[in-house]
Parts: sequence; structure tokens; C-alpha cells
Amino acid sequence: MKSWRLLPLRVDEPFYSMAIDEAILRLKAGGKSPNTLRFWRWQPSTVSLGYFQSVDREVDLEVAKKRGVAVVRRITGGGAVFHDQDGELTYSVVCGQNDVPRDIEKSFEAICEGLIRGFKRLGLDACFSPLNDITVGGKKISGSAQTRKWRCVLQHGTILIDPDIRLMFELLRVSPEKITDKFISSAYERVTSIKRELGEKPSFEEVKEAMRLGFEESFGVSFEEGELSSEEISLAKELIEKYASYEWLMKR
Amino acid sequence: MPYAEYKAPKGIIKVSLKLDGDSISEIRISGDFFMYPEEALDELEGRLVGISADRESLLEALEKFYSETKVETPMIEPKHFVEAIMRSLRG
Repeated sequence: MKSWRLLPLRVDEPFYSMAIDEAILRLKAGGKSPNTLRFWRWQPSTVSLGYFQSVDREVDLEVAKKRGVAVVRRITGGGAVFHDQDGELTYSVVCGQNDVPRDIEKSFEAICEGLIRGFKRLGLDACFSPLNDITVGGKKISGSAQTRKWRCVLQHGTILIDPDIRLMFELLRVSPEKITDKFISSAYERVTSIKRELGEKPSFEEVKEAMRLGFEESFGVSFEEGELSSEEISLAKELIEKYASYEWLMKR
Repeated sequence: MPYAEYKAPKGIIKVSLKLDGDSISEIRISGDFFMYPEEALDELEGRLVGISADRESLLEALEKFYSETKVETPMIEPKHFVEAIMRSLRG
């Protein structure tokens, strides 16, 4: 059985977290990092923007400032996500292009399958909703984003445990196009969480463990607990500057 | 700048642009879609400058962009970008 690295659950400031994901991807591409699964939390709470999004059009920066919420642009496409420091767990997978299907939608589905099995372990009937979401009862409980560079894949995404959904919609500017969509009567009804579905809030470690087992099953690999290498840490520290820069945030 | 949003099968394409006569002189595309490789969006914006802002010319430019760059945009096709751009002309 193939072996992947599993990193310990980390809580970091957002620019460093984004930098760690990119550092692992770059060093995987350079043959210096193994296939890796990690789970992590954001401190402080953060809105992450998709690579192609315009910050002004997606986030109410005044609300973010007032509520102490950071804003960072990802290297992955997709939409803006509110990462609640107390109610959300993020996962990242870095692997070779050949470790997942070539087809983009199939590759999202293959990686999301690990999470779906994890949600099932927690007692939730989760399913994949193309292109990049996981839903329970038709409501989104997880969203993922992916990039492919240098024949490697980074996919990261959100696992909604018990986020402040009111704050989420105060921070994110909801497009009028979305509001008029006949399938969406209310923004609140589009999103759910583990707490809302189960009636209780599991610990971050419990969620992580369920997801790890889910990935183990779906990927057919075993996870070995490891740490970031010193090379990954030093590259990540170099990359912080980019993610923290005004230029990167305002890129679109 | 004239601006419009268009809900494509995956995500919302947001376009703001400026015209010089009938041609696009400046264009910014944003949204929550995916494009592989990501840098291709800069190239697309560059290619659209100077293109006549009618449906036919835009579709031709988009299709050429897709075939020449091997770009992939899951669940989004050239016609969706064209529709977003056409809406921004009215916006």
C-alpha cells in the first residue's frame, strides 16, 4: 500500500497557511516533498478569495476590518470562503498529477470522496455536487478549490463544522445574479454545517480523524504522521510576503 | 467602466470593459470559476483588446484562445465568456 504523509492539525495566521500549501506544492513538484494530507485552522478568521476574484466585488472590507477578519487571495480558483476560526476546518491535499484522474471534474470528485466518506463516518449523508462542492440534504457543507502546476495538484477546501453563517453573509457580497436564481430562495438555506445536521459540535480532532479514515479508504493509501520539513518551512516563510502584500490582494 | 455579471453553469463571470469605437480597449474579467492554467486569464484579456465588440468576433476570439492555449475551464465554455462580455456592453 502506498504511503502518504499526514501533518498534525495546525492553527496559523492566514498568510502563513497559504504559504505552507504553496511550499508543499512547489517542493512536491521538485521531488522533495511527499504526497501530503493536512488539516488546519485559521487564526484569525479569514475570508479567502479565489484567484480570479476581485476583492472589492466579493468582500465587504469594512465589515472585515470591524470584525477583525483577515482577507487573503488563494492561488486556486473558485469562490470566496469565510473561514471561521472556531467553526471551520480546512484540508489540503498535495499529490502528483498522476495520483488523481486527469479530468478536472473527476479529480475534484476523487478527492472529495475522501471527505464524503468522512462525513458518513460522522453520521451525515453527504454527496458530491459538481464541480467542487459537497452537500447534505442539498445544502453545501464543504467546498473545494484546486490548482495544477508542474504536474502536481493542490486541492484545498472547507469543512463547515459550526461557522457563524450570519457573519459569513455580512462579509461576502452576494451577487444579484445568484439571488435571483430560482433555485435559491435564501442564502441561509444554501449552507449547512456539521453542528446543524447532527445537533452537536464534534471536536476538530474528531472531524480530522473521520476525514483521515475517509481518505485512507477512498485513496487506498496509508497515512504516516509526519512534520513539515525544514525546507518546506523556510520556503513557506519566504512566500508569506506575497500573500500578505497589498498587490497580491488587489490583483483583480 | 460598463460592468455586468453573468451566471454560467459553474460560477459567475464578471466583466468590466471600455470601448474605443466598436472595439474593446480595456477589459477586466473576474469571478469564481476555475481556469487551468490560471495565467491564461491575463492572456485572454490581452487577446480581447482590439476585438470588435460583437458576438461573432468575440466568439471567434474565444474559440481561438481555447484551441491555441489548451486552456481548461471546467463547466464553462467560450460562449459563456461571450455572453458575460455582451451583457457588460449593455451594462
